[in-house]
Amino acid sequence: MSKTDKNDILNAAVLSWMQDLAPQGILVTDRSLAVIGWNQWLEERTGKRAKEVLGRNLLELYPDLKTRGLDNYYNDVLSGQVRLLAQRLHECLLPMPTTSDFKEYTLMQQSARISPLYQDGEVVGTLTIIDDVTERVIRESQLQAQLEARSQLLANEKAARREAEEANRLKDQFLATISHELRTPLTAIVGWSTLLRAGDLTPAAATRAVETIYRNANAQTQLISDLLDVSRIISNKLVLSMSSVSLTSLVERALDAFKPESEARNIALQPTMEPGLPEISADPERLQQIVWNLLSNAVKFTPEGGTIQISVKRIDARVEISVTDSGIGIDSKFLPFVFDRFRQANSATTRDHGGLGLGLSIVRELVELHKGSVHVHSEGTGKGSTFAVVLPIGSPERQNARESAGGPECVPLNMPTSLDGLKGLVVDDEEDTRDFVRTVLESCGSEVTTASSVSEAITMLERDCPDFLISDLGMPSEDGYALITKVRALPAERGGRIPAAALTAYARADDRHRALLAGFQVHIAKPIDPQNLVNAVARLAKKVHD
Amino acid sequence: MVLTERQNDSLSELINIAFSRTGAALSELTGQRVLLSPPSVSMHRTADLPRALETFIPGEVASIHQVFAGPVAGDALLLLNYAGAMELTNLLVDEPPQTAYLDESAREVLTEVGNILLNACLGMFGNLLRVHVSFSVPRLHLESLDALVASLITDEDDRRWALVVSTAFKVRDSAVSGFLVMALSVASLDRLLHEVDDWEGRQV
Repeated sequence: MSKTDKNDILNAAVLSWMQDLAPQGILVTDRSLAVIGWNQWLEERTGKRAKEVLGRNLLELYPDLKTRGLDNYYNDVLSGQVRLLAQRLHECLLPMPTTSDFKEYTLMQQSARISPLYQDGEVVGTLTIIDDVTERVIRESQLQAQLEARSQLLANEKAARREAEEANRLKDQFLATISHELRTPLTAIVGWSTLLRAGDLTPAAATRAVETIYRNANAQTQLISDLLDVSRIISNKLVLSMSSVSLTSLVERALDAFKPESEARNIALQPTMEPGLPEISADPERLQQIVWNLLSNAVKFTPEGGTIQISVKRIDARVEISVTDSGIGIDSKFLPFVFDRFRQANSATTRDHGGLGLGLSIVRELVELHKGSVHVHSEGTGKGSTFAVVLPIGSPERQNARESAGGPECVPLNMPTSLDGLKGLVVDDEEDTRDFVRTVLESCGSEVTTASSVSEAITMLERDCPDFLISDLGMPSEDGYALITKVRALPAERGGRIPAAALTAYARADDRHRALLAGFQVHIAKPIDPQNLVNAVARLAKKVHD
Repeated sequence: MVLTERQNDSLSELINIAFSRTGAALSELTGQRVLLSPPSVSMHRTADLPRALETFIPGEVASIHQVFAGPVAGDALLLLNYAGAMELTNLLVDEPPQTAYLDESAREVLTEVGNILLNACLGMFGNLLRVHVSFSVPRLHLESLDALVASLITDEDDRRWALVVSTAFKVRDSAVSGFLVMALSVASLDRLLHEVDDWEGRQV
């Protein structure tokens, strides 16, 4: 076979491949850009038959090539250069509908290459090869999205870790504050008690000592109560007991309570109550806590001679309680964090003004539980601040009736204050507590015996047949749970059904639940004031009669 | 071989003309203003290229490589470091997804950009020398600088010099540095410098 014959065969093979087999679009033009080659791939995808396009000028056939500046590409190729078209920059060379199953694109995404065709060292035409890259582009896009999601996840994890570290730091700071704030009232209590014990005080000084001890003990009770509230909030165990509440009366009572302190510091309380406000559906105790916390904050941070304005007004189906003070104001940088838990315990402010600084975070949680909102506004340091609470008037979604599983002491009763004729057994390993409880109960007419251990208590129970039992839970050797288990195992005639109350510093909802399950009828959290103790015993006594 | 100050100035000016054409072409293509900073030209032995460039391009290099042939022949390359290559792609392509690695579509963008730049420069030299230069299809490679230079050193002992042009693509308040490298035979380089001297003479 001659060389010419071989070349003819090879040319025929190349032409056949180009025309019928190539998995790409192949377009050939002459120097004038008249189309002289248009393969089957192009016929199928453009819908233009070769006989329709052959001989026609490419730029007339596809006028948008000129609009898109691609005629320059062909001119560059005719001058001997090679030109590439990246899909991401051009989307396509010749517009064609996509054949891909994916719906992301209606036009086929293409990359293309345009090369000069030479004959005897001269450019005689152009060769364009078009690739359908639609599916590749979609795969790349999916992969990029996955990588982006992964990198976002990583960024989120880093942010979460930073947040956790910050929270940890704030908790450490908070614990330091707690330690300080709990010790402060203790200093007064221990100091004055020591002086009282020594018996060297004049009657006037002794009275002042008792008042100081009482005031500091109450302050500490409030601190602990705030901590317990925060603990309940964190564990989602704070639930509301809803009823109809007159906001006007509630705010007026709160104002009365703050009157002595504000008058002492020459702070003017200026209430504005819209007349005829309807009662709102709320937990009265918690609503009072909201108002008290806002007022207490305002009083605390307002200097002598300042003013505090309290307004209550209706806005459509909601009421707004706002407290505006002329106090130290809030720095704009701190404003977004005012209601944050722990963050509120800004050490500088806490040191200057005392308290744990948990009040506002409790306010926000309580307001949100009422399906309301709380906002703060301050022009900056030294320019006072306004706190506004907005609450719905109507019934919010009914919450569980009581905290945790609820306890019998939560049922409102008309309680007698006399315990005449009732015999009680008080069990506590701490002598001070035993004496306190006995003193209080005996002052109301009850006859009380005490025991310091479970075994002693069982003996006395069977011997004295008391009407009620009050027991500590945390005791060495055998605890209050062991006691009640043993008691409930006794037959009724030996005291097995005696009404019993747990009096304990284990004050969480879980502790209450456990005590009630163990067989106590009532759970009383320490510290407790005498009136509450008597009321609780009276409720137990009622059970005797029931 | 060391360029005289005049040769250096003339080459810089000529390349700057090609750069301004490239900037205009890329601006039109991408719809945003693209500028190439004035070039800084130097000459190195090809074998010395890694040492000359390693501080600018540590690690993996993205190179767009085009072979040119004719009376003046050699290799033309645009070199970018990997991060710069990604950044340039993202700057030139407005629409998401922004590339987090150099996928095939990103590589196509770089290849097209390199192709435009290399052809503008080589075309300019072709016109200067009044010779026709033909170009191979550009290819993009990702490899170490050493591997890249090794591929440029052939058995033909005469292709030993590299004209290195440093520049930066300025897009949307960002700048991405890159290098244009033309590896030429001594004969081609001699001819180029001779024509550059002539051109410089004609400008006076």
